[in-house]
Amino acid sequence: MMPSCKDITEHSSDYLDRNLPWWKRPGYWLHLAMCVHCRRYVEQLKLTVNTISKLPDATPPGVTAGQIQKIVEKMKQSTKE
Amino acid sequence: MANPTLPGDDELIPRLLAQDETSYAQIVAAYHGLMVHLARAIVGEAIADEVAQEAWVAVLRALPGFERRSSLKTWILRIVSNTAKSRLRHESRTVSLDESFEESPIVDPARFKPNAHWASPPAMWHADTPDALLASTELRNCISDALAVLPPLQRAAVTLRDMQGLSMEVICKVLEVSESNGRVLLHRARSRIQMAIEEYEKQ
Repeated sequence: MMPSCKDITEHSSDYLDRNLPWWKRPGYWLHLAMCVHCRRYVEQLKLTVNTISKLPDATPPGVTAGQIQKIVEKMKQSTKE
Repeated sequence: MANPTLPGDDELIPRLLAQDETSYAQIVAAYHGLMVHLARAIVGEAIADEVAQEAWVAVLRALPGFERRSSLKTWILRIVSNTAKSRLRHESRTVSLDESFEESPIVDPARFKPNAHWASPPAMWHADTPDALLASTELRNCISDALAVLPPLQRAAVTLRDMQGLSMEVICKVLEVSESNGRVLLHRARSRIQMAIEEYEKQ
């Protein structure tokens, strides 16, 4: 059965991540082929995901040599306890 | 994200068990940043580093019993996630981890007609690339604010998937959620950010 627009919005991450079960894919594609609103919705989700990956906070913080040393000391200490 | 300077798990684990200091330093250099990043998503900036440090001690303590059912990295991130979750349970009575799985619809139901097709469809955005969107300081702030108010596990899912690029399979192991719950967390998080951008674009 063809999904509704609401169904498209509920499963759009699965669609983008290629996690949609095989039996749902044809209906999903067909809906997107026919519905300009849902195509836009899915495109905007894709843009959102790509934008999240480019946020300044998306990069894990760096670690300095001093911090590493401090943690290593703590680890050594913990094995002695 | 394989680390070129880090030996494989087969080599590394015996060295860590033998309390080899160089290996301690190598593994901390490779993973501490990722651990703080994940801890930050669950408990917030202020105590993220402390949680990651606490996790290192827990890692060493648990390592002799590590059954290698996942990679060392996945297992370490799971310890970070568990350490962070228990800190959250202790320190904040107002935040519920279950809130992350709320079952409300992704898009406001009022935007659909009774037949579940769009009544109020999405409008065009002024920009169609991440760089163009992020060029606006105001929008960057809107996105940061939206991320900040996400339930902790949703923020963790989006951090691990869309920022660190981990697979869904690994993420579910790290957060100890089923695969379907992991996908729900991720989709809810992304949708809330999408809504924040949409709101900004409407102005």
